[in-house]
Amino acid sequence: MRPVPKIRLNRYSVMTLEWPKDSESLENWLRRQRKMAPSLMQEIAIILRPSVDHRTEDVRQAVDTLGQLGVGLIGLTGDPCHRVTAATLGLSWLSSNTGSAESELGPTQEAEDSVRETALVMEGPVRSGVQIYAKDRDLVVIGQVSEGAEIMADGHVHVYGRLRGRVAAGVGGQTGAEIFCVTFEPELVSIAGTYCGFDQIPSNLRSARVRVRLDANAQVLAFTSMG
Amino acid sequence: MAIVVTVTSGKGGVGKTTSSAAIAAGLAQAGNRTAVIDFDVGLRNLDLVMGVERRVVFDFVSVISGEASLNQALIQDKRLEQLSILAASQTKDKDALTEEGVGQVIKQLADMGFEYIICDSPAGIERGATMALHFADHAVIVTNPEVSSVRDSDRILGILQSKSKRAKEGGKVNEHLLITRYDPVRVDHGEMLSKEDVCDILAVKLMGVIPESKAVLKASNTGFPVILDAESDAGMAYSDAVARFLGEDRPLRFVAPKKQGLFSRFLGGGD
Repeated sequence: MRPVPKIRLNRYSVMTLEWPKDSESLENWLRRQRKMAPSLMQEIAIILRPSVDHRTEDVRQAVDTLGQLGVGLIGLTGDPCHRVTAATLGLSWLSSNTGSAESELGPTQEAEDSVRETALVMEGPVRSGVQIYAKDRDLVVIGQVSEGAEIMADGHVHVYGRLRGRVAAGVGGQTGAEIFCVTFEPELVSIAGTYCGFDQIPSNLRSARVRVRLDANAQVLAFTSMG
Repeated sequence: MAIVVTVTSGKGGVGKTTSSAAIAAGLAQAGNRTAVIDFDVGLRNLDLVMGVERRVVFDFVSVISGEASLNQALIQDKRLEQLSILAASQTKDKDALTEEGVGQVIKQLADMGFEYIICDSPAGIERGATMALHFADHAVIVTNPEVSSVRDSDRILGILQSKSKRAKEGGKVNEHLLITRYDPVRVDHGEMLSKEDVCDILAVKLMGVIPESKAVLKASNTGFPVILDAESDAGMAYSDAVARFLGEDRPLRFVAPKKQGLFSRFLGGGD
């Protein structure tokens, strides 16, 4: 029997870029984020959600800019007023009613979402020049992370080994994300975009067992020894 | 089936070609049919170190492009019957290396009964280097005891475990660390990383430590693989390294500063 093409309904999780009115320009925002996570929003499907107040021209420009930055935009979502814009720009329109769903379901739904996927477990050593990104989940590295390597996760990051590279937790803006490490010597630490270099890490915690959290009020990283 | 051993480092000038020549000659000396291939297309050097530069007619690229047969291009070593050399092309560039072409040459060598195929990688992480490590079963990472060399080795190890054929098929390339140009006196003075530091950073099993030695330059200049110079410290250290690669357990030599006698200390000798 020759195989025949089939149509199937598959569910994929796709990232949505929320773009509120009067926010800083998407270009500046993305360039800043990419300093922390150079491969952010590359080679993955992205949907843009402009606010209801954005004009067609604003959206057109934003789509151009994102295209130049290598973001693979597949469609628009949000207020139906942008439906025609999507058609004129050759993008898909994804109708959504999550606006109301969010308010109905509230925070419990969010909590469930965040534990839905298990952690990405990587066996080290993670070598210089290697990038690992655990999207929408935690990252666990068994072994060392070399200088010049980058490990990132939207959730927590755990390193059971010597951490000498760059580490970022809460890459997608999750301020509750934390970093746990048994031998802490990183080049750069970041949680939800707040970062600091090796020099700013308290010197008594270098090479120690360390937990890093984001103090959301002060917008600084809080380092504690795990003994 | 032949075993493919890639000698690589990331950084240039650390001793890849010297080590390739030594390892190939050492394996042949131990009775294994061995071929050594120079992947540094455009900057060929292995032929010089092996002392066959006057005998190169056809090369690796001419075999890949079909201008010559592998038999025509292989140069049989005059000292070791079991050893053959496939030189790089000096006139072409590294784009001449294709995955299919390299794969075919390696397969033909295996079919001819070669037991070990040593791939002498060029420096860098571009095409020549990635082609040299693509078919590797084992990789010998050549590192000098200094930070930039160690970092580049770390980088090439990452590439090895992500881009090689074995890695892509879900396996792992066997890693061996070879520290070259090691000077125990300078390590003692804190001017050089110790072998423990290097092993700690790279987390790879140590295959050998080759001391900084005048014998190496002399051997290269005279086209005589240093491992065949059984009197020299570097030659002995390479012999140990090859024996360890073949599964023998040998203690490290030449890793502590030489004890100087009273006389040589007064006379400033001891080298």
